[in-house]
Amino acid sequence: MSYQLTIEPLGQTIEVEEGQNLLDAALRAGIWLPHACCHGLCATCKVQITDGEVDLGEASPFALMDFERDENKCLACCATPLSDVTIEADIDDDPDAEIHPVQDFTGTVVKLVDLTPTAKGVFIELDGDGLCFQAGHYINLHLPDIAQPRAFSLANSPSQPRLIELNIRRVPGGEATGYIHDRLQVGDRLELAGPYGRFFVRHSAPESLLFLAGGTGLSSPKSMILDRLEQGDTRPIVLVYGARHRAELYYHELFQDLAARYPNFSYVPALSEPEAGDAWEGATGFVHEVAKAHFDNDFRGHKAYLCGPPVMIDACITTLMQGRLFERDIYMEKFISAADAAQTARKSPLFRSI
Amino acid sequence: MAKPMNMRDKYNRMTRDLGWEPSYQPKSKIYPQIEFEGIKIENWEQWEDPFRLTMDAYWKYQAEKERKLYAVIDSFAQNNGQLNITDARYVNALKLFLTGISPAEYSAHRGFSMVGRAFPGVGAQVACQMQAVDELRHVQTQVHTISHYNKYFNGFQDFRHMHDRVWYLSVPKSFFEDAQTAGPFEFITAISFSFEYVLTNLLFMPFMSGAAFNGDMATVTFGFSAQSDEARHMTLGLEVIKFMLQQHPDNVPIVQRWIDKWFWRGYRLLSLVAMMMDYMLPKRVMSWKEAWEMYFEQNGGALFEDLARYGIRMPKYWEVSVQEKDHLSHQTWATFYNYGHAAAFHTWMPDAEEMAWLAAKYPDSFDRWYRPRYEHWIAQEKAGHRFYNPSLPMLCQTCQIPMLYTDMDDPTQVVYRSTEYQGEKYHFCSDGCKDIFEHEPEKYVQAWLPVNQIYQGHCGGATVPEVLNWYHLRDGQDNRDYLYSEDRQNWLRWKEASSQLETT
Repeated sequence: MSYQLTIEPLGQTIEVEEGQNLLDAALRAGIWLPHACCHGLCATCKVQITDGEVDLGEASPFALMDFERDENKCLACCATPLSDVTIEADIDDDPDAEIHPVQDFTGTVVKLVDLTPTAKGVFIELDGDGLCFQAGHYINLHLPDIAQPRAFSLANSPSQPRLIELNIRRVPGGEATGYIHDRLQVGDRLELAGPYGRFFVRHSAPESLLFLAGGTGLSSPKSMILDRLEQGDTRPIVLVYGARHRAELYYHELFQDLAARYPNFSYVPALSEPEAGDAWEGATGFVHEVAKAHFDNDFRGHKAYLCGPPVMIDACITTLMQGRLFERDIYMEKFISAADAAQTARKSPLFRSI
Repeated sequence: MAKPMNMRDKYNRMTRDLGWEPSYQPKSKIYPQIEFEGIKIENWEQWEDPFRLTMDAYWKYQAEKERKLYAVIDSFAQNNGQLNITDARYVNALKLFLTGISPAEYSAHRGFSMVGRAFPGVGAQVACQMQAVDELRHVQTQVHTISHYNKYFNGFQDFRHMHDRVWYLSVPKSFFEDAQTAGPFEFITAISFSFEYVLTNLLFMPFMSGAAFNGDMATVTFGFSAQSDEARHMTLGLEVIKFMLQQHPDNVPIVQRWIDKWFWRGYRLLSLVAMMMDYMLPKRVMSWKEAWEMYFEQNGGALFEDLARYGIRMPKYWEVSVQEKDHLSHQTWATFYNYGHAAAFHTWMPDAEEMAWLAAKYPDSFDRWYRPRYEHWIAQEKAGHRFYNPSLPMLCQTCQIPMLYTDMDDPTQVVYRSTEYQGEKYHFCSDGCKDIFEHEPEKYVQAWLPVNQIYQGHCGGATVPEVLNWYHLRDGQDNRDYLYSEDRQNWLRWKEASSQLETT
């Protein structure tokens, strides 16, 4: 049987399977906790239990001292829950993060749009009052006859809680995206759950906003930018948005229009391989290259939000850091799948959140 | 109800106001060493404390660790724990580790006290102060272990004296002195980053699991007790590097040069560990080659992939370390076997089973290059001529290791590198050591090289017995082959006595 683990100061609650340790459960749910050795020796993952009971596992007596056991501390990497548990971890709770309880929803597909030859816009009208979320959150979408739900970022502004928009790229051979592209019809009923995620705009920080997006990674930035402009944010906001060629660049007119209406918003589209018929006059190159040229290799004074394929994210982080913007000012959308968790051995502990 | 403070805020409340703006003196006079290395810090406030530990909590932790550790050491002593180790031969690995590393930990203690005083930032000061106290604690616990083993085995009796004189102990000694005589930023890069973060796993993990494997619970407990501190030290190493690289782009080339230098210095120092892992443990945990692949090539590779974002590349000559992994431990052990009459621990030839293990772990090098040499020495020993090299080796001017490493394209040809400085010729074991010298020749021309000192007449005399006497090394007891050692005779007698006790 599984237990509920609540992680303070985030206030987020996740499931822990029988025999699963707290650290593993948190990491798999996309919540980073401090950790290093992962086998009870180094004490980096020490957390305070504020409610519930755990089995302390193989915590070394030198890493978890007797007086700490008396104070109800445990090492997250080897503690397993014996009841529902609440812990307080040494992580920073952000005043700008909104916590919305996860709920189940049912809705009707009201519109399907071919955004590009490979990406579809799916508009779902939800029953009831709709989904309260923060721009940057995602939902888990259930599809008929497909066992596991799939995660998709919300592309609409939070001001439209009843009509949600998802932008879905066809993954070659993908079961779920294949279903959406080939079989989903207007009028179909769908179930979904949300909101999830910890990707959001640090709107109380004074820095300017920079969005770097590639492909269907545009969903969250679109929602975030619409939200900021609706909220009357007057700081400079720049979107650098990249696609391969003109046909893959969607919502081009929407962002051109926003840039014309809002003097603080700049839109920098980039094509990496423009085709002959594109008559492209904008920037040519990958997102990180175009961003570097646009900012003359100096990103200081920004908060950067990154969304897109892993290679793009990777290249953008390097470009930002070489342009003097570091981890504390870089945020990205992260889904930690089982495959990602298996790859963590190759990651060094130099960076916490990127 | 007000929202409870998170841990960061609580920590800030506990530690704020430790830093104040001085009014009697300008900061440049209070922290005079902070600029000469060229590192530019724009804002010390951006230092992120990698662990939020107050001094009050620190004492509580350390006090409990001490209580537990000494309980184990006491019970080890009272129960004659030394009789439960696999074999008295294992103690030779301990002799090398405890006499080589304990004084180095004391040097680290002094170094962190100095740099903690040199840094203007409160976060860095507190981190260095705690590490200085940790290092002092480590020396003390190791001295207690030395004290116990010294009652039963030879070679431990005068480790402080030997540390200043004996030829191979000058390798760790000069390594730490090099770091201590650098500026504060280079010291902390050398020790916290290159040594603690990149290389300590290689010192600790295989050695401590080796100790556990070989029944040495005193060392294992010391290891656990120290490892809980090491995690903090390693985190400090990462924070220091990130902090310097983020503060100013001009810092990047300076830090890269330090990483190049201290990677190579640390790697050369670890050749002693390589030999311990492959030759000195009766029960082996993993080969040096496997450890280097896991801890440096994989873990270190991942680290340098991340550091590449700052414009930092892999340390210069890392490829050489990878090429050398098939040879390093064998060449080092063969050299100690040659000079076993001048070492304060025993040496020996691996037996048939051990050679089979070495051949399996080193299929590309052992049978071809090293087994024939060992079989020759074993035959000589059986004929009553245990080989001891009567000459003295040339030492590398930088790392002070005898010039024993070979060209990787031709493992019979020793690498000789040399350079001239002010009309004198200086010799090196590798391009890595030569580069380090050439960047700061004024520093390394002052090196106290044990062999050169003997030839100059500063070490008690011109003959081996005179030099050993000057080392306080007891000829015939502390040195020479394990086969004929007092340690081995005693061990066999103790084992026989205890088996008789069991049968009666």
